[in-house]
Amino acid sequence: MNNFQLKIVSPDGCLYEGEAQLITLMTTQGEVSILAHHTEYVASIGMGRATVVTEEGRRYGACIGGMLMVAENKVNIVATTFEWKEDIDVERAKAALAYTEAELAKDGLDETRRTLLEAKKHRAKVRLAVAEN
Amino acid sequence: MAGVSTKAIKSRMKSMESTRQITKAMELVAASKLRGAQERALNNRTYFNTLFETMDMISKGGSEFPSPFMKSPEGGKPLFIVIAGDRGMAGGYNNNVFKYTVSMLPENAVIFPLGKRAGEYFKRSRWECISEAVPVADMTVGSCYTVSRMLADQYREGRFSSISIVYTELVSLLTQTPRSKELLPVRFNDDRTVRKASFIYEGGDQAVFDSIVPEYMAGVLYCALKEGFASEQAARRTAMDAASKNADEMISKLTLHYNMARQAAITQEITEIVAGSEQ
Repeated sequence: MNNFQLKIVSPDGCLYEGEAQLITLMTTQGEVSILAHHTEYVASIGMGRATVVTEEGRRYGACIGGMLMVAENKVNIVATTFEWKEDIDVERAKAALAYTEAELAKDGLDETRRTLLEAKKHRAKVRLAVAEN
Repeated sequence: MAGVSTKAIKSRMKSMESTRQITKAMELVAASKLRGAQERALNNRTYFNTLFETMDMISKGGSEFPSPFMKSPEGGKPLFIVIAGDRGMAGGYNNNVFKYTVSMLPENAVIFPLGKRAGEYFKRSRWECISEAVPVADMTVGSCYTVSRMLADQYREGRFSSISIVYTELVSLLTQTPRSKELLPVRFNDDRTVRKASFIYEGGDQAVFDSIVPEYMAGVLYCALKEGFASEQAARRTAMDAASKNADEMISKLTLHYNMARQAAITQEITEIVAGSEQ
C-alpha cells in the first residue's frame, strides 16, 4: 500500500509523526478515511474514534476537536485533544461520565451549562468507547 | 551605647534571615514549577508550529469565499489580549510585557487582560478593558476555547478591527522577550503564484473555515499562555536567586558589623575594668 506523511499534534505535544497508510476519523460532517495521494482537503474534526493504519499495524485513539488538512500527500491533524487507546485514563472518563449524567439529571440547568455538560458527557463516552474495545 | 547597636544589628540580621528564607523558598518553588512548565511549553511549540503550518498552507490555497475573519470590520477597535502573571516577585516579567504593550498600543485600542497583574495595570491606564482580568492559573484548554469563540463572535459582529495577542516568549532560562502576534484578520498570502491549491472543504468551504478560525485562535492562545507561564517561572527563579544572593551578602556584612560592635564592647569593658583596678 502507498504511504503518506501523517502528523498528529495536540496541545500536549506531538502524538505521531511518520508514515501511515490510512487514517479514519470523525469530522463534524461524519466519518472520513484518508488514503495516500488524497486530494487537498480541509475539515474540522468532531468527536470520535480515530484509526491509524501503519506498516506495523492498527492503532486506535480518541480524537476530539480541531482540524484536519491534507495537502501534497501530507496529512496534518491538529487536534484539541488526542489520546491513544493505551493512554486513556478510563477511571477519569468513567468519573466524568457519572458526574455529567448526575448533573444533567438535575432541574433548572441553564442552556450554556447544559451544552457544556452534554459535550463533556459525549467526550467521556468517546474515550470509554475507544478504551474498551 | 555599644549594647544598643549590637541589639539593633542582631534584629536586622534576623529580619534579613527570614527574608532570605522566603526568597530561597520562592526560588525553589519556581525552579520546580519551571521544569514542568518548560517541558509543556516545548511540547506546545510543536503543536503551535504545526497549527501555524497548517493555517499557512490553507491560506496559500487562497479563497474565493468571503469570510468575515479575513476582512477587518470598519469602525471596530483593535483588541489586544495581554498575558501577564497573577503575582509579582518575578523580576521584570510583568513590567516588560506592559512596557512593550504600551509602546505599540494605538490610541483607540481595547485590552483583554489575562493575569491579575495585567488587570490591575490596565485598569489604571487610559485604555479600556473589555472584561475583568482572568487569572492565568484558571485558564485551561477548555477556557481558551470559550474565550476564543466569544472573541471570534464579537469580531464577526464588527466590534473589533483586529485581534492581537501579547505574550512573553521563553527564549532561554535567562532571557524572556515579550512578543506580539496578530490573530485576526487572517491574512492570506497574496503571492498566489506560490501554489494554487483548491482545497475541498468538508461541509461547505466557508462554514469549515469559519469553524477552524476559533480553533486556531484557541490554539495560539493556549500556547501563548503556556509560554508565558514558563517565562514567568524562569523570571521568578532568576529574580529570587538574585534576591537570595543579595540577602546573603547583606547578612555577611551585618555579621561583620555585629562582631566588630561586640568586639568593641568587650574591649571597652576590659579597659574599664583595667582602669578601675589600677586606681
